[in-house]
Amino acid sequence: MKKIKKIFRYDNVGILFVLPAFLYMLIFVGYPIVRNIILSFQDVNAGNLVRGTKNFILFDNYLELFQDNVFRTSLFNTLRYTVLCLVFQFVIGFALALFFSKRFSFAKPVRGILLVPWMIPVTVTALMFKLLFATDIGVINYILRSLHLISSNIEWLTTPGTAMFALICANIWIGIPFNMILISTGLTTIPKELYESASIDGANKVQTFFSITLPLLKPTIESVLILGFIYTFKVYDLVYVMTSGGPVNSTHMLSTYSYKLSFEMFKYSKGSAVANVLLVILLIVGVFYIKATTAGEEE
Amino acid sequence: MKKKKITALLTAFAMTAALATGCGSSEDTQEPASDAAPAGEEASAEESTEEAAPSGDAEAVTIWYYWETEGHQVALDQVIQEYNASQDKYEVTAKYVPFADFKKQLSIGASADELPDIAILDSPDHASYVEMGIFEDLTGKFDVSSYYEGTVNSCTVDGKLYGVPFGVNCLALYYNEDMLKEAGCEVPTTWDELKDTAKKLTKDNVTGLALCSVQNEEGTFNFVPWLWSTGAGSYDINNENGIRALTFIQDLVNEGVMSKECINWTQGDVMNQFIAGNVAMMENGPWQIPTMQAEAPDLNWKVTLLPKDSEYSSVLGGENYAVINGRNVDGALDFLTYATSEEKVKFMMDKFGYISADKTIAESQFEADSPYQPFVEELNYAMPRGPLAEWPSVSDAISLAFNQVITGTASPEDAAAEAQTTIDGIVK
Repeated sequence: MKKIKKIFRYDNVGILFVLPAFLYMLIFVGYPIVRNIILSFQDVNAGNLVRGTKNFILFDNYLELFQDNVFRTSLFNTLRYTVLCLVFQFVIGFALALFFSKRFSFAKPVRGILLVPWMIPVTVTALMFKLLFATDIGVINYILRSLHLISSNIEWLTTPGTAMFALICANIWIGIPFNMILISTGLTTIPKELYESASIDGANKVQTFFSITLPLLKPTIESVLILGFIYTFKVYDLVYVMTSGGPVNSTHMLSTYSYKLSFEMFKYSKGSAVANVLLVILLIVGVFYIKATTAGEEE
Repeated sequence: MKKKKITALLTAFAMTAALATGCGSSEDTQEPASDAAPAGEEASAEESTEEAAPSGDAEAVTIWYYWETEGHQVALDQVIQEYNASQDKYEVTAKYVPFADFKKQLSIGASADELPDIAILDSPDHASYVEMGIFEDLTGKFDVSSYYEGTVNSCTVDGKLYGVPFGVNCLALYYNEDMLKEAGCEVPTTWDELKDTAKKLTKDNVTGLALCSVQNEEGTFNFVPWLWSTGAGSYDINNENGIRALTFIQDLVNEGVMSKECINWTQGDVMNQFIAGNVAMMENGPWQIPTMQAEAPDLNWKVTLLPKDSEYSSVLGGENYAVINGRNVDGALDFLTYATSEEKVKFMMDKFGYISADKTIAESQFEADSPYQPFVEELNYAMPRGPLAEWPSVSDAISLAFNQVITGTASPEDAAAEAQTTIDGIVK
């Protein structure tokens, strides 16, 4: 009896509460990750997936990957795509958030409508942009032609450089509402009194923005950027539907290339190695996120 | 402080984990086979099944297939129902797995030991799964001597038979008869004539020729006939012949008689462009015929052999039955014996719009003026892809080379050399 009481002491009860979540994480998150890491150190392909020995070749998969042009392209693409998307999403989202923080008629309903891109399933958005950017029947070429900006149709999705541009455009459109809403929420937490006293002291709009709005929004901005980075970095559906990594492998991302290696070419180990590269990069970003969000609490 | 760091690391792990776990968590297969059957038919089939198999102890036999066409599903389902009614030892059920997921599901199923008893799969992938060791050796269990040689080859590895061809198809050239007449063109039979005809047919919103050029197996399927027609082989591209094939396709695109958009068009998209009148000629297969007849009954089109460079050539497509080993092999064999009988094959081929893999059935399957007849003739020139366990990687190199020349990112010479380097690394 005493023993049981001991088990249910205050501290231990806390652990019991955490236990279900911990077990869940261990089985459904921890196990796949560990398996995936082991898989990437082996040489598993169609020949030995079911029978035969799975040789450990340690870092050979990774070494081969870094010599693989398509992998290097996808790594570079993923970084370029993420950074460009993030910059434009953030700037436009921030501007819209500031705009809608002003009180004017219909400010709130319009801001709600702007959320639509975030709510549409990505595959639908991807199909829509695929049609917008189509060479002969696309609306974008039609508008550009009508404005006499171009003389012949631009082959957006069938030329390597412009295909990437089209993907980035589509994703910026999707990501703006996310940035806008989080920053809007952040703006409402800034006390009005600060702005009032600033205006009494004679600060102009620009000074107010840089001395009050930005510093007080710092935690929000950090969260938005890091969460945005993670969402953008693991893009899969948008690319798969719009270009499938083409033309000529020029728009492959780490995620799409991993899928292709694993399930189209039966190179399971190499595919998992690509996924692990993705994991490591996001892990680093994740640590920054935790640091940024807990920094305030520690003080 | 240290504790915090560890928590931070763990949480970060958790945040990024969704990504890694995403790989193996797809369960989006459905079972529309029975839904697709007309209600009345299904009900009667069910009744008869109950009569024949009153007890629930019939052994289960499951089949995976990837046909999304409703007609295909209904026909297969009918054969299954008839089989279930004819005996009470086995109970066959079929499950639809989308084509895009089919390879993935078989791979995952193989490592998780959750496979069906029979798979009806795309023939070029057959060798890979044999290599994986999940298919039963069927040598001597089925008489395939009257089948097309290429189809039997596609499921033969090291002289052993690992499957039974289901149906067969190949690619040929469809042309819009009215457009050809209007432009005063003959039906092309050589590459030069094809290019000439395509040029004359190209005007306003119409491009002369279209072929599916996506960068995957579907694209490779459409590219290899051109490669083979020059005398180049699938593993032997970096030579005069291979370069000539790449140059020919590049010229078609550069001269505007084939749209660059083809790299984003599946075979279905190409067919839609053809029936919409945007394309005058296309490379496509016989499975499009039922749709074309239904959706564009007034369109005047015909089918002919693919024009040749030095020899007529086409590519063999279609599905094979395979029996998974270590499961209900007896039941699977029993059903396959039933389903490959002449009567059932004829029934399914007619409903599917497929050509029988059995040459004796195929040759009497269609009327002389049937649009399917040219495909039966084309079959004499059709060769299988592979069979090779690493075919997916070879296929990737071939479709990449054609995509490079179509988009102009590499010259035919460079594309051929690069493809050859990749292929040499696979086929030693």
